[in-house]
Amino acid sequence: MSDPFLAPNAEPAPEEIELRAAEAGQDYEVQLQSLNQWQLAWRKFRKHRLAIVGLGILVVLVVAAIFGPILSPFVFNDIPKPDKAVYAGRPPSLSHPFGETGGLQRDVLQLVVNGARTSLIIGFSSMAIGVLIGTVVGALAGYLGGFIDNVLMRIVDVMLSLPLLFVILVASQFFGNGNVLLIIIIFGVFSWMGIARLVRSLFLSIREREFVEAAKAVGVRDRRIIFRHILPNAISPIVVSASLIVAGNIIGEAFVSFLGFGVNPIYPTWGNVLSNALTFIPVGNWWWPLFPGLAIIMTVLAVNFIGDGLRDALDPRSRA
Amino acid sequence: MTETIELHVLGAPPSDDILLDVRNLRTTFHVMDGDVPAVDGVSFQLRPGRSIGIVGESGSGKSVTALTIMRLLDIPPAEVGADSEIWFDGKELLRMPMDSMRKLRGNDIAMIFQEPLTSLNPVFTIGDQIAEQVEIHLKVKRKEAWDRAIESLKLVGIPSPERRVKQYPHEMSGGMRQRVMIAMALSCEPKLLIADEPTTALDVTIQAQILELLKTIQDRTDSALMLITHDLGVVAEMVQDVVVMYAGQVVETGTVEQVLLEPRAPYTMGLIESIPTVDKRGGRLSVIKGTVPSPFNLPPACRFEPRCPYAWDLCQKVPPELYQTDKASQFARCHLHTPAGENRRRAALDIHEKAMAVGRDMRGPG
Amino acid sequence: MLTGRRALDAAGGSTVTKYVIRRVIQAIPVLFGITIVVYMILLAAPGGPTARFANNPRVTLEDREHFKKAWGLDQPIPVQYCRWIGACNPDVDAKVFGIFPSPAAFIGPNGWPNILPEPISGGTNGVLHGDFGVSVDSGEPVGPRIIRAALPTLILASFALVIWIGIAILIGVYAAVRRYSLFDQVATVFAYVGYAMPTFWLGIMLIFFFSGPGLNILPAGGMTTTRISPPFGSNEYWAYFGHKPFEALVDIGRHLILPVITLVVVNIAGDSRFVRASMLEALSQDYVRTAKAKGLPGRSVTFKHALRNALLPVVTNIGLEIPFLFTGAIVTETIFSWPGIGKLTIDSTRAFDYPTLMGLLLITSVLVVLANLIADVTYAFVDPRIKF
Repeated sequence: MSDPFLAPNAEPAPEEIELRAAEAGQDYEVQLQSLNQWQLAWRKFRKHRLAIVGLGILVVLVVAAIFGPILSPFVFNDIPKPDKAVYAGRPPSLSHPFGETGGLQRDVLQLVVNGARTSLIIGFSSMAIGVLIGTVVGALAGYLGGFIDNVLMRIVDVMLSLPLLFVILVASQFFGNGNVLLIIIIFGVFSWMGIARLVRSLFLSIREREFVEAAKAVGVRDRRIIFRHILPNAISPIVVSASLIVAGNIIGEAFVSFLGFGVNPIYPTWGNVLSNALTFIPVGNWWWPLFPGLAIIMTVLAVNFIGDGLRDALDPRSRA
Repeated sequence: MTETIELHVLGAPPSDDILLDVRNLRTTFHVMDGDVPAVDGVSFQLRPGRSIGIVGESGSGKSVTALTIMRLLDIPPAEVGADSEIWFDGKELLRMPMDSMRKLRGNDIAMIFQEPLTSLNPVFTIGDQIAEQVEIHLKVKRKEAWDRAIESLKLVGIPSPERRVKQYPHEMSGGMRQRVMIAMALSCEPKLLIADEPTTALDVTIQAQILELLKTIQDRTDSALMLITHDLGVVAEMVQDVVVMYAGQVVETGTVEQVLLEPRAPYTMGLIESIPTVDKRGGRLSVIKGTVPSPFNLPPACRFEPRCPYAWDLCQKVPPELYQTDKASQFARCHLHTPAGENRRRAALDIHEKAMAVGRDMRGPG
Repeated sequence: MLTGRRALDAAGGSTVTKYVIRRVIQAIPVLFGITIVVYMILLAAPGGPTARFANNPRVTLEDREHFKKAWGLDQPIPVQYCRWIGACNPDVDAKVFGIFPSPAAFIGPNGWPNILPEPISGGTNGVLHGDFGVSVDSGEPVGPRIIRAALPTLILASFALVIWIGIAILIGVYAAVRRYSLFDQVATVFAYVGYAMPTFWLGIMLIFFFSGPGLNILPAGGMTTTRISPPFGSNEYWAYFGHKPFEALVDIGRHLILPVITLVVVNIAGDSRFVRASMLEALSQDYVRTAKAKGLPGRSVTFKHALRNALLPVVTNIGLEIPFLFTGAIVTETIFSWPGIGKLTIDSTRAFDYPTLMGLLLITSVLVVLANLIADVTYAFVDPRIKF
């Protein structure tokens, strides 16, 4: 670099300075990659390692749940003929990777896989019902306000104060033992309260927020406001809640089936398989409850991870 | 911060009449997208009892400077340069063990922050919050600490302090909370008070009161004041020396009269020119065109060059140092003050003069 | 803590009482709603209380009608509910539209409304007079039956509560303070897995492990060891307790270990993350920076300034989760044959014993409401920003 301080001391022309003064302040080119909300969300989700793992696990489970029962259907009355009349089940072996149950010598893998189908269906369907009811109720309460809001919230309070397990036990017992559809409806009916409160508070707060006022000031109509401005903000917490609900309902169904009030044993679920395993504890058949339990844990973990990933991905404030 | 790489040999401690000596301070933040050189080679000095103003826009690095002095930054992600030194009262702060630093904080150096509501703990009474500091540093009993707390509330002009001392932060107004912060900071009679945008969050009328208070206190207790602000008006009223920061660097230093009335760095000149005064009423507002550069995308040489009306090709090639201007105690980071820029400097000052005079001329008759 | 003083300062506690009273009054319609809903379910369900005879071929139609009449089940549901609550006089058979009790039915034997206390109205029936009915299953009065079952559950729940709260806070705080450390990572894994675990599965696996054919160091169930002590709660038991208290306590202790672990693991898993998150949030607040700037020692900053604020939402959360402790106890008590309220619930449900179920429901609902109330009051107590 030649020494600029020794350069000839030229007198700059006045126009040069004027020109410079006029030119000054040109911004650096800034490169903006413009993505819409969903692309952004997918990018963020992808970075969440645990969520991807969860997604993977869930895919495996769903595939197993769909194809398992086809490959190895569970028929209640079809009792496999045991080699020897053994009371206790047999530990995992090559032909029965999860072992066999005591008593009827059923293949545990078959039970787990068939159970997957029932349990997953129950978990997701009941969540769908819960989300639907909850969103509608919450939206009505939050947007209409006033008397309707009060009434709806009292209902929510009552439903929330009902000891959940208790009522589910009683309801499944009295309303018909073991009907899968019934179980789905009951769980759905008990899952909507959280979402309703969430949606309601979102509507309440967003209704007052500046950008809604701005939209109104420009003359945007009510319905458009709801759909274009309020709902997109609501999606994130609803989705996260939904994932928690799925996890909760799967465990809940397992609870209820375990206690004998859930799905009819004709359809295996992880819960009633565990229930049967209970009586064989003294004999030491550890594999029998182990694998269904692990299946439950995996499913719930997977759903929780996905929920976490979704929460980070959909939060507009978190960075990609 | 106790593990700074020991490749650097410390310089000699400053003379006894210098309270705070910041030498070549560099603070870099390592974040996901890269490294942010928030403070990049900042140096200044402060004598006991004097006041200095650190002026700059958001992102200029002024707050980070203060936080680094107090060693309040979390070390990853922050990192302080190995050859940076901060001397306070004859001791070097950056290499001091944390325990010793803690003894200084709140005791010899105190800091007040911008937002008094969130800066005070909501679940404790203000008396409790002042007293705990006194107890720790001055090693007195609870009762005496409490009395001292009431005293400091009186000092900052809070009425009925015996009652107030048992109140919670949310029970007070913004102005009063800031007074409490000041009371807290002064409770152990520090030698240096650092005020980070103390009035920005307050109403204009309260602002004036708080500034007045700060001045009174400073006179009374003889502590040095380091005032961080973006408001030139505040600077004009409160401090004796000024350090102007831009994009992490010091671009001008001098006394307050020098910097505000006769700025020598183009950035400062632009700032002064853009102050709307009654004189300029009816004319166009003068602005500094462009925006502050992103820390990930800094100009290669002079950081102000893209926005500078007086820049020329040298400014894109060679980063300017802080050169002495025509006044002995005023420095500006600008090539205009080198021999190569001599003619341009005369032209620039001329233009600046004319811009400042516009206002005066616009007052016509009637 | 100085905040306690504030509540006392506030007009000698009367605002607190007013608040509590107001909340209790608000809770009453909710309680009513709950009881009505469940009563409907119980009695309107297909078969209703006579469903217990559904599969018994030797019970004729006549027998069933006789049963219904004896238990007052031939009355319309609103009338039954009214009598169960204690607002209607069971000796008066006066109806409106054939379904609802007419005003005459509300008058007690002494001429005053039946709902008033016995000395005034002479009414003795119903919940409001302390009469929970009689078990359809055992013939025993429901009230005492529930109380007998309450003590074991109380013991289980209290231990579980203390351990749960204590460990969750310890883990959460330590994980937050030592963020990203090995401890934190292990705690996070534990939290995720523990939270995904169904409690009963954990119970089963624990039993297999500790009481099964392998290690046999802990009892598999029950509250006492039959070899050495009479059944819990009986008169013989209290005699035994007085005689050998230390042995009895150890015995109960051994039986408590597995059920308590089963009950609390899931809660600890969830709450430790909550505590951690809350603590991290508190540590990032401005006032923590101020505390450091004041030169306070690290311990004071963390445990006095940050923790105090971090615990606020934790307190509410725990208060709201206490009812789930009782729900969880249902399954745990079943697995471990713990003779508490949970087990009673299962047994009564299986036996279609609706009076007991209603009694249990009422108790649990009251507890839930109480827990919510306590959570709210405690929160308002410790957070000076909340005004009643």
